[in-house]
Amino acid sequence: MADWKELEAKSFYEATARERAIGMVDEGTWTELAGPKDRLTSPHLPVLGEAVEFDDGVVTGVGLVGKHPVFVASQEGKFIGGAVGEVHGAKIVGAFLLANQVYDKIMAECPDEIEERRPAVVISFETGGVRLHESNAGLLAHAEFMDQIQGSKGKFPVFAVIGSKVGAFGGMGFVAAATDVIIMNTYGRLGLTGPEVIEQEMGKAEFDSADKALVYRTTGARHKYIMRDANYLVEDTIGAFHDCIGEVMDLGYAAIEKMRRIGNEELVDEQLALAELSVELHPKDSRDVWAYYGNENPEQLTEITTAEFLATAKRRP
Amino acid sequence: MALQELTYTFEAANPQPFPVEWMHSGVVGSGDMEVMFTKEDLGGKVNFKIVTPVTGFDEVWSRVLQKFVNESGISDVNVEINDNNATPVVVSMRLRQALQDAKKEA
Repeated sequence: MADWKELEAKSFYEATARERAIGMVDEGTWTELAGPKDRLTSPHLPVLGEAVEFDDGVVTGVGLVGKHPVFVASQEGKFIGGAVGEVHGAKIVGAFLLANQVYDKIMAECPDEIEERRPAVVISFETGGVRLHESNAGLLAHAEFMDQIQGSKGKFPVFAVIGSKVGAFGGMGFVAAATDVIIMNTYGRLGLTGPEVIEQEMGKAEFDSADKALVYRTTGARHKYIMRDANYLVEDTIGAFHDCIGEVMDLGYAAIEKMRRIGNEELVDEQLALAELSVELHPKDSRDVWAYYGNENPEQLTEITTAEFLATAKRRP
Repeated sequence: MALQELTYTFEAANPQPFPVEWMHSGVVGSGDMEVMFTKEDLGGKVNFKIVTPVTGFDEVWSRVLQKFVNESGISDVNVEINDNNATPVVVSMRLRQALQDAKKEA
């Protein structure tokens, strides 16, 4: 494994789940919890003849970002596509439970320091959702994530960081949308039904999953950023995600609460207005929507660097 | 259908102590594997435990692991491998990488 400084400069897209987890917290502060040494393998995969992994495809642990204890759950897409099974899910829920305990402890011992010491949960999504081999347990885990996110409101922020090969799809697309803050790099993809599944069900005319440019401009980070489905778009280094988490924590909890996409009546109205707009505008391509929001050369937006994009793209007001 | 477990014990001709208490390396991707080394006094021997979906390659595993033990000289260590259809070349490369990481860590 590369040392921490090398990890900061490393591509987030190419990094393993463990590298991402270590690099998203401050140097030398990472402690892995329920790691490979605990050998928490899936109880369901062996009977199906499927390979197991000691960490069940998710790296969980804690580190610091500034003074903030940050609980990280980082999914590994190379192991069964990062899909959520029973152990995998329980480990992510465990990260939330620990964050709750830390929050309660700070509130009991030094409540006036809560703003500077407030914990956070960071989930690095690389998943298609439920692991079909252990589907009931996987679905239940999704419900528990939603429950934990709901329970975190008013206490600590939950970050979704998305920028790995598999993206964040299926049930975990819902979970990502329910978090407080979404940070993506330009390779990040977020959605519910994956491109291949849409094509399979609705036909190539509806969505051609082999057209990678189309897939990226529909589910990709630049579109999500313009639509404000993603709060931040950062360069593709682990360090850029680390810095962004630190900057957001510095904004304070009141500002973070305003970054959500769901959870109150105004946001419901906003989403309904978007649904109405889609009927009115009847866009054939995400470029039509980008043009609607004042981007004069929407074709150019996918051709330029992330820095140029951030400087020129006009977002949904 | 179920996963199979293979175990082997080897002993190097010129045993070297394993450099750290434990070492984990790798991701169980398709065609890949992870390995966990745990130091234990085994009278100079090396125990292997492989969990794999592939059947019929017991002899190949034996040769690849024996070669690794002989070349590296590791001793007194338990080696656990979770395999997902890694080829023999990948297996020996991953083992050497892990050992190199362990030496770097020490």
